[in-house]
Amino acid sequence: MTEKKKPQIIIRNESEQEILHTRAQALAQAPEKVVPASELLDIIVFSLGGEAYGIESVFVREVYPLKDFTPLPGVPAFVLGIINVRGQILSVIDLKKFFGLPEKGLGQLNKVIILHNNLMEFGLLADDIVGTTSVLLSGMQASLPTITGIGREFLKGITSERLIILDGEKILNDKEMIVHEEIAFMASK
Amino acid sequence: MDSSDVEFNKRLLKTFRVEAEEHIQTITSGLIELEKSPAPEKCTQLIETMFREVHSLKGAARSVNLREFEMVCQPLETVFSRVKLNQIALESGSFDLLHRVVDFLGGLVATLEEKRTPAQRSLQKELIGQLGIFSNNNSSASVSVQPEPGCKLSQDSYEEPEIEDLKLQPKGVTAGQFVRVSVAKLDSLLFQAEEMIQTKVTTQQLVMELREIKNTLASYSLSSRQWKTRQNASKTSDSNEFVNWCENHLDTLHARIDAVSHAAEQDFRVMRRIVDDHLEAMKEVLMLPAASLTETFPKIIRDLAQQQGKEIDLVISGDDIDIDRRILEELKDPFIHLMRNCTDHGIEKPGRRKELNKPAAGKVAIAFATNENRQVEISISDDGSGIDCDLIRKLAIKNGAVSSEAAEKLDSREILALVFQSGFTTSPIITDLSGRGLGLAIVSEKVEKLGGSIAIESKSDVGTTFRLLLPISLATFRGVVVRAGEQLFVIPTASVIRTLRIKPEEIQTVENRETIRHNEKILSLVHLSDVLGLPETSSSALSMITMVVLATGDSQIAFVVDEVLEELQVLVKGLGRQLSRVRNITGATILGNGRVVAVLNVPDLMKSANQFASIRKHCESEKTPKSSTKVLIAEDSITSRTLLKNILESAGFQVATAVDGADAFARLRNGAFDLVVSDVDMPRMSGFELTAKIRADKKLGELPVVLVTALESRDDRERGVDVGANAYIIKSSFDQSNLLDVIKKLI
Repeated sequence: MTEKKKPQIIIRNESEQEILHTRAQALAQAPEKVVPASELLDIIVFSLGGEAYGIESVFVREVYPLKDFTPLPGVPAFVLGIINVRGQILSVIDLKKFFGLPEKGLGQLNKVIILHNNLMEFGLLADDIVGTTSVLLSGMQASLPTITGIGREFLKGITSERLIILDGEKILNDKEMIVHEEIAFMASK
Repeated sequence: MDSSDVEFNKRLLKTFRVEAEEHIQTITSGLIELEKSPAPEKCTQLIETMFREVHSLKGAARSVNLREFEMVCQPLETVFSRVKLNQIALESGSFDLLHRVVDFLGGLVATLEEKRTPAQRSLQKELIGQLGIFSNNNSSASVSVQPEPGCKLSQDSYEEPEIEDLKLQPKGVTAGQFVRVSVAKLDSLLFQAEEMIQTKVTTQQLVMELREIKNTLASYSLSSRQWKTRQNASKTSDSNEFVNWCENHLDTLHARIDAVSHAAEQDFRVMRRIVDDHLEAMKEVLMLPAASLTETFPKIIRDLAQQQGKEIDLVISGDDIDIDRRILEELKDPFIHLMRNCTDHGIEKPGRRKELNKPAAGKVAIAFATNENRQVEISISDDGSGIDCDLIRKLAIKNGAVSSEAAEKLDSREILALVFQSGFTTSPIITDLSGRGLGLAIVSEKVEKLGGSIAIESKSDVGTTFRLLLPISLATFRGVVVRAGEQLFVIPTASVIRTLRIKPEEIQTVENRETIRHNEKILSLVHLSDVLGLPETSSSALSMITMVVLATGDSQIAFVVDEVLEELQVLVKGLGRQLSRVRNITGATILGNGRVVAVLNVPDLMKSANQFASIRKHCESEKTPKSSTKVLIAEDSITSRTLLKNILESAGFQVATAVDGADAFARLRNGAFDLVVSDVDMPRMSGFELTAKIRADKKLGELPVVLVTALESRDDRERGVDVGANAYIIKSSFDQSNLLDVIKKLI
């Protein structure tokens, strides 16, 4: 049965072979340089307060639309509140407030990027998700001396396209991020 | 060895570990019991038990090829066997050796997979040697001194003394009635059972919504019929046919929804019962006797006493009561701390005790008892030196915990309560036992977290007693949903004494604090929104004030709320890893409609309340008069919506919100507004469309509209003007002053 379907190429003579060879030569292209995965950084690009930032996708569990949230009394201003992600309660952080960036403008803030590692998990507020991309580790510059705003210790680097890459590990592990407040007993005041 | 063999070996070791821990525990308890020199029959029985345990341990170790265990168990077994035969006697010194051997075995079990350290090896050699010396040399102490050639000791001896006898006495439990299941598996089952509460709550909500749809349809069907009867008078056959067609369809729909709603309701009832029963059964499974908590205590007390050169008898009673395993687990650390407290601060050194005419050995008693409220009362008391109230008073003043005037006013009970504060220690030197001053604070925090309370009683030179009151099982959490300002909160029902509605005249101010009288008691009154630090909201003068009376321990405070909505069963979840502890809030729960609501921490609230009791008065005098201007915000982004709302509200406007243009238009038709602030890019109906619709409407035509937009192009601005917007604010240059300026110009 298969014989019928299989196209058979029969090369009849040398001149034909010659033609095919030249044609192949003409069409041949050098393969694109393959960059090993270890030299690439997969990142998710999001916009926040008019700027674009990137964060390594290994730390991103998922992106969740922010439809509603419950503010909590008595937490620092950088904690927007808590949300329900399919039955799980997660806190959402406003990076602009955490880094003390100017509160100019009115963002869309419609997305929550859920960051996680084995010790920590929370959501980051973002205006929108721009997309995903891979950047070359070698093409990344550590930082610029003029960069202010987001604390330099939380920057992984800046790409040649001038995209600021946040250091997910540092943000997740930062002690300042954790809210732990006890109440001192006041006998009378 | 291939990987499956490795796996198998790992499993074997795991099983061995569990078994070995049990044997070691029994031997330790036996030794401690024996040290108290009980009656001779009891003695014999204990030795017999320990002998069997060592024998089983040795057998178990051999089956998993752990030679090091065998090497230690063998001489230990010989010792017990000779004690049993009265060939050697146990004295106080020998107990220390035996304890050391058992501790060493415990250490081996804990580090099964690790390599032995040289220290461990030399200790092992030393212990084996000493055991050998002990079992041979001590023979003189026994009555029947007969050198037994068969009992010659060799470390590798595989001799099995009286193995037949051992086999004849099986343990009390017959196989088949009990199954060994790992706690982790049971815990995950319990977790699943608890998660089902969420489904139950959601389903209940769905059933209710279904019922509402049914009722709406019923009333629709009714009015349609009435309309038809009226129309029938003036017969118009054409439309009549259509109306009949509609009616038939409506009837069918109604009947079907009715059936579905009925079935759903029934299913829900069945499901509710199953979920509840299942959860209760799961909890029963995880109940353990309190003894599982206390079994290690004698050893702990013995070690502590020895370290400090004190003599202490530990008496435990009532530990056959079954308690939720999760509670027992959480109690472990508090108990260890309390026991340390008793030995370190409580019991005096023997010399001092003699001076006080007390028996040389101090006594620590731990007693469990149940009460009629499904609670367990646990007391830990010592007959030691007691707590010096004056010392605590002085320390509290020195630490700045209380002012010196306030401290004078506190009675002895209030003074004692200060020891539960963190950073408090009476110990002048920090020993490795206690003195860091954190312990009792952690103890009380843990106990409160479990829904319990802790109290302390103490008399100088007579002793100290800690009393813990805890639930027997972690009850399915019930909560009262209240509203404070615009937010909902859940208060644990267990802490709510009652809810009250009173007239404003009944509030009286005492020492600048608001109070009410309830059940012949004066209660202080605070506003929940003040305590939580919620933003001030417009509160019109109400004829009745709603409040909930909350209690922890024996203090009660009335909290004013805006509304008490309902009481329901809730599943409390954590706030996520980032919010490790938030003041006044324990966790959160998800209501049937998917809304997330914070669960309040009553002990925290009571503490916070003390700081806020008198503040309300001042705020009220400074409150800005509310403007009567009503603004509607149409914005699909929740964060922007909240921000706009906060800005406008703090500027004194009355604000309503809508999630898109269509929602906004519906609201505009149903209520009177003075101004609209709208986003442009919204689902269903954009800001442009909304503006155009407003302009086209007869009634709303003149309403000022402010468009707030991310679109910056000139075309958009022109389009905004075209459709009739009064002002156009661009999001990127937005700040609150330009919004407020624009609004002020328009109204």
